[in-house]
Amino acid sequence: MFLKRGLLIGLFVSAALFNACRQQDKKDTAAEPKTIRFPVSLNDTVSLSIDKSPMDMSYFPEDYPKQKMLTPDMASPVARVIYSRPQKNGRVIFADSSVSQNVIQHYGEEWRLGANEATEIEFFKPVTINNKKLAAGRYIIYCIPYPDKWKIIFNGNLYSWGLHIDKTKDLAETELPVIKNNTEIEYFTMLFKSASYGCDLVMAWGDMKVSLPVTVN
Amino acid sequence: MKYLFLVITVLCFSFFDVQAQIKLPELDKSPMDMSYYPNNYPILKIQDKITEPLIARVIYSRPQKNGRVIFGELLEYGKVWRLGANEATEIEFYTDVKIADTKIKKGRYSMYGIPNTDKWTIIINKETDTWGSFKYDEKNDLLRVEVPVQNQTEITEAFVMAFEKTTAGANLVIAWDNIKLNLPIVF
Repeated sequence: MFLKRGLLIGLFVSAALFNACRQQDKKDTAAEPKTIRFPVSLNDTVSLSIDKSPMDMSYFPEDYPKQKMLTPDMASPVARVIYSRPQKNGRVIFADSSVSQNVIQHYGEEWRLGANEATEIEFFKPVTINNKKLAAGRYIIYCIPYPDKWKIIFNGNLYSWGLHIDKTKDLAETELPVIKNNTEIEYFTMLFKSASYGCDLVMAWGDMKVSLPVTVN
Repeated sequence: MKYLFLVITVLCFSFFDVQAQIKLPELDKSPMDMSYYPNNYPILKIQDKITEPLIARVIYSRPQKNGRVIFGELLEYGKVWRLGANEATEIEFYTDVKIADTKIKKGRYSMYGIPNTDKWTIIINKETDTWGSFKYDEKNDLLRVEVPVQNQTEITEAFVMAFEKTTAGANLVIAWDNIKLNLPIVF
């Protein structure tokens, strides 16, 4: 009797283990391209595989590096943003704090406007954001989302990971209405569009779009 | 027929609607990435675990091998390559450093490589914010240095650049497919 039960439990456990391993395998191959670690003593935490939320970069004037290729002696760029692009992946992007399942970010909490490192914005000329002058230079930006508006904050804590915001280094902020798109944007996107006063930094994800006016002084 | 017309009209409108919106960039085939020295500086920073000052950062794109022969085929030997994809690779030094006895002032530079079978020429150039090596101009070179190719038995699928601590400073390790290079940086 005991033997039989033991056998049954054993079978059950090994079946479960087998299944778990298989699922793990499946998950791994689906999640990232197969990469083989090369035998250098690189710090183990340096990722050799492609990031799940890959980094990207947008310039103003739009596509500046390409434009520069066609127009040598172009004036220097005005702005550049470096951010990471998480995917929606069937999740709810924002919800209030009562929702904990399948949600990326809660309303009213700081969000790094992307993933991984804090999003970095560089102005190559002095600019004005919401009546506040910012010198040419580098900043990080983050967001506090609400259902109808995003608060965008410029901060001086450069080269930091986006999960811990040092609010003592906030420099400028502005509140912007959320515009609803009728198309779904799977990957979080940031890019600049030309405007009469300089440019807009457009941020879009899911069915939301926000436009941040940047006055170039 | 009437319905067909209606369907086409609706489709046209939805098409124009999409067109009227801004064109959003697709996810890049060769995604961008960034490496710092000290490694993982941004994470260490928020954990209050920084023991060394910020020295360097490289921003590059990561093409993948995807079953192709890279060196000598996809990348011709002897030709300037942007060390990645898309924009030219950017390296920034937050302090003055030395590479091959040449002093490099802190600042942003672009980086290129000329692959060869046994050694590569690594180039640091003063022109930044450029695309590829199409407009690469030797006149703006700050330095050229030759580094030996180290053959690897294992394959690196996605092109990678990362820093590795050395006694004199750090190596910028560059690896793809079956090769690896070390660019020594002294600081």
